Amino acid sequence: MNNYVWLIRREIWERRAIWLVPAVMSAVLILLALFGRTQFISDVPMESPYVGKVYLGFIAGLFLVIMMLYSTLYLLDCLYDDRRDRSILFWKSLPISDTDTVISKLLVGLIAIPLVSFVAADVTSVIVAFIVSLRARSMVGGALWNAGTWLQMQGLWMYVIVTCAIWYLPVAGWCLMVSAWVKRAPMLWSVLPLLVIYLIERFFLGTHYLASVVGYRLGGYTQAAFHGSLHTDDVTATVWQFIDVGGFFGNYATWLGLAVGGAMIIAAIQMRMRRTEI
Amino acid sequence: MAPLIAAANLSKKYGSHVALDNVNLTIEAGRIVGLIGPNGAGKTSALRAMLGLTTYEGRLSVLGREPFRERTALMKEACFIADVAVLPSWLRVDQAVDYVAGVHPRFRRDHAMNFLSKAQIGGKRRMHELSKGMKTQVHLALTMAIDAKLLVLDEPTLGLDILARRSFYDALVNDYMDETRTIVITTHQVEEVENLLTDAIFIAKGRIVLDSSLEAIAQRFCAVSVAADRLESARALKPFYERYILGKTVLYFEDRERTQLADFGELHTPSIADLFVAKLSGDAS
Repeated sequence: MNNYVWLIRREIWERRAIWLVPAVMSAVLILLALFGRTQFISDVPMESPYVGKVYLGFIAGLFLVIMMLYSTLYLLDCLYDDRRDRSILFWKSLPISDTDTVISKLLVGLIAIPLVSFVAADVTSVIVAFIVSLRARSMVGGALWNAGTWLQMQGLWMYVIVTCAIWYLPVAGWCLMVSAWVKRAPMLWSVLPLLVIYLIERFFLGTHYLASVVGYRLGGYTQAAFHGSLHTDDVTATVWQFIDVGGFFGNYATWLGLAVGGAMIIAAIQMRMRRTEI
Repeated sequence: MAPLIAAANLSKKYGSHVALDNVNLTIEAGRIVGLIGPNGAGKTSALRAMLGLTTYEGRLSVLGREPFRERTALMKEACFIADVAVLPSWLRVDQAVDYVAGVHPRFRRDHAMNFLSKAQIGGKRRMHELSKGMKTQVHLALTMAIDAKLLVLDEPTLGLDILARRSFYDALVNDYMDETRTIVITTHQVEEVENLLTDAIFIAKGRIVLDSSLEAIAQRFCAVSVAADRLESARALKPFYERYILGKTVLYFEDRERTQLADFGELHTPSIADLFVAKLSGDAS
């Protein structure tokens, strides 16, 4: 446990982007709120909870997308970077197992980075709502300060962080495997083998198994974790109505992904034990 | 007592390249062992195997543990500096101290801080701001503050100036070394460590060429400067290496009585560096 505290602290020392990226996004949004147009939603009644939902959803979605991109880059780089600069020889001189090292990177990629984004999105939402309320007087005390909407947002974030960590475990495991193994260009190698298999399948076998499996994993998250569509004109609909806990955990693909992801992480640990230098 | 390090038929192959070829060796506790060999001889492969950084064939035991399987436990009692200055460029000196103090049960923070303040390296500086020599000093400060039974140093003073090198070896002998510790060291500057070694292991092409204590070397090996007219009769005693220098030929003998050789000229015990050259060139010819 103590080791994990230090391992995660180590990642935060090294990867300043973990908090710099959300901080920059936050600053940009605050500047936009200060100097940009405030009447960004003009075709709905100002008191409608829909305004708050769109507003909070927009900020959360922005942080979520950037967070996912950064997290992927992080997982692809984290076991490659210290082999490239040979600092792995220093880290391996300390009594920390490769299992703990790999798991700590996984925790940073799937939990720590999303949590930082979540906190940043929340803080930004409060500040921007405050600025917008002051600038656009018609909204004061109105839609932006709906406690129910805010509460829904917190619940949604928690649900997304947990379910994303589970759903995308095989993606994270694949990134860690590539990162632990390749001699160069982890980003290229994360795609190339899949592309080759896809092309072989397509031209020699005429099938699309890999494409459909990978496509479902990458694009099927909202379908697996939520009911129907998140986009609805029903202004009374709450987040709780969309969250599909039973469906998510009842889906065999969730558990299959967990098993495959776990196997990939074990493979990444084995590679980490054997590959010391590039 | 069981030896600290014991290797039996230790081999390591990279594809078709054989880095270690059935190496057998033992290292006892309390020794300072120099592992000496040309580049690509297998020094680093041997050290990496001992430290659990690589797989290998054969049997290997370090501090009673199997290094590859038990690296984590091994690193509580052994520490190493592999090559120079591999501290990550983004790391701050105080972060490095905090981290090692946080994860290593045998780390003595006050030792590290002492060493750092003597070297005048401030805590807030990042590794990429430090010179190669200072970076090595930081690494040494961290490593020597660990109360370890085995210290492995792979070219520890590369990139240091002569003053820093001297103070490093002085600290190693005076402050660090005692009868409970064992040090395995590789370096190209054999002359510099010769006075502190208790044992020397020569390695070439993945094989052990010589494995001996320095006292035994002094007994086994002898060099004689022979004048030209006595050369043929001296050669009859089968020197394993000859070197022509300043008008005289120096012949190197192994396991010959000194009384037998005394007639031919001035006797002396070859230095480790000379013996290394002699042994490697001699065996090759």
